[in-house]
Amino acid sequence: MTATHHLFIVSPTDTPLYSLSHQSSKPTQGTVYPLSANLPTWSTSAFAGTLTALSGASSVSQTTGAGNIRVGGGQDRHVIQMIAHASLDVIEDVVRTNNGMYLKGVDKFNEWTVSAFVTPGNIKFILLHDGRNDEGIRAFFSDVWELYVKTTLNPFHMVNTAIKSGIFDVRVKASAKKNL
Amino acid sequence: MSVHSAHTAPHPRLSVLSTASLSASSDHLPSISNVSSRYSLPPGAPVPLSVSSSPKPHARPSVYDRNLNKTRTAEVSLSAYAFLFSEMVQYTLKRVNGIADLERRLNVLGYRIGLRVLELMSWRAESSTKAPKREIRFLPALMSIHTQFWRAVFGKPADGIEKSVENEDEYMIIDNDPSITRHISIPRDMSQLSCSAITAGMVEAVLDGLGFPARVTAHSVPTADFPLRTTILIKLDKSVLEREEALK
Repeated sequence: MTATHHLFIVSPTDTPLYSLSHQSSKPTQGTVYPLSANLPTWSTSAFAGTLTALSGASSVSQTTGAGNIRVGGGQDRHVIQMIAHASLDVIEDVVRTNNGMYLKGVDKFNEWTVSAFVTPGNIKFILLHDGRNDEGIRAFFSDVWELYVKTTLNPFHMVNTAIKSGIFDVRVKASAKKNL
Repeated sequence: MSVHSAHTAPHPRLSVLSTASLSASSDHLPSISNVSSRYSLPPGAPVPLSVSSSPKPHARPSVYDRNLNKTRTAEVSLSAYAFLFSEMVQYTLKRVNGIADLERRLNVLGYRIGLRVLELMSWRAESSTKAPKREIRFLPALMSIHTQFWRAVFGKPADGIEKSVENEDEYMIIDNDPSITRHISIPRDMSQLSCSAITAGMVEAVLDGLGFPARVTAHSVPTADFPLRTTILIKLDKSVLEREEALK
């Protein structure tokens, strides 16, 4: 079984700026969440092909192309988006009292663990993952942060507009491949 | 001003960006040299445009190739800074009615700068540490604006922080000699104006980013020793005080 990761970057006004789905090639380090273990096998393995196809999808239109296949078990793209955005409430509570930028395992939903990284400018990186890889996630967030800072320094980028840069996309994917 | 509006109504002072975009349709070119008031270029002379040469995407490094820590050799002279700010004030002045409007616009420009400086400054300070931190209490955040932020933008810490005696939601950051307004004399009929409104905007952005919404304004309070002395007045949102109270 391989680990799946979903990254969402959300602006201070909760506008989605960027999203990425990543299928890890590395084996997960053995943590089996009770609920995912109880799910029928088709929920994770049989549709792995669909998930791989989705992992390359950067736009919503491609998602709807595969949207007719119900995957179930919280693997559906829309469900994933909902879990990520639902965790915003938890994150907003936690950032008031926790002064770390990296918030490890801040929320949980079925087999998904939500980790987040909040920049000083209140941009939130939200990562859904189903395996445990704390160090890798920390390194990944750190890379994304650097790329994000570089993006903001570009005068043509506005805080609340989506990040469309191809180079940003390529570099985030490269970091995901290396660390996750 | 967007590039698009430059197309429909050519302004006498076309920026380099907008002339380059107009060059795409060559029939516009003669009109540029007629209306241009840039004295550095003789009228009618062909404008050297980078757009006309064949585009070489690989020749131009992207922002993602830059090293964010390279500061030593990347310092900008105060003159460049002052001239740029002078242009910003002139540009804004042409498009406003009244001092309050001008200050508001400068504030907005500063806000955009502040957001970027905050991210960059924190990245430089925290990215090498194992567990990067944000400020979550107001007073330490205010101190870091006074010291780190001022140093990042103006090269020196501010000269003081004061808390208002009358209103508990008001704080002041004091700069005895703000470097960006050092070369600006305010005309007598605009005596209310403080061009440090841009600094106020930056402070507002930083406070907003860290989660302390506030209204920030700039006021000049000259003294005999420091004729340019400026106070950045921070009026905190009620939610900030409530949150601080809850964290005690």
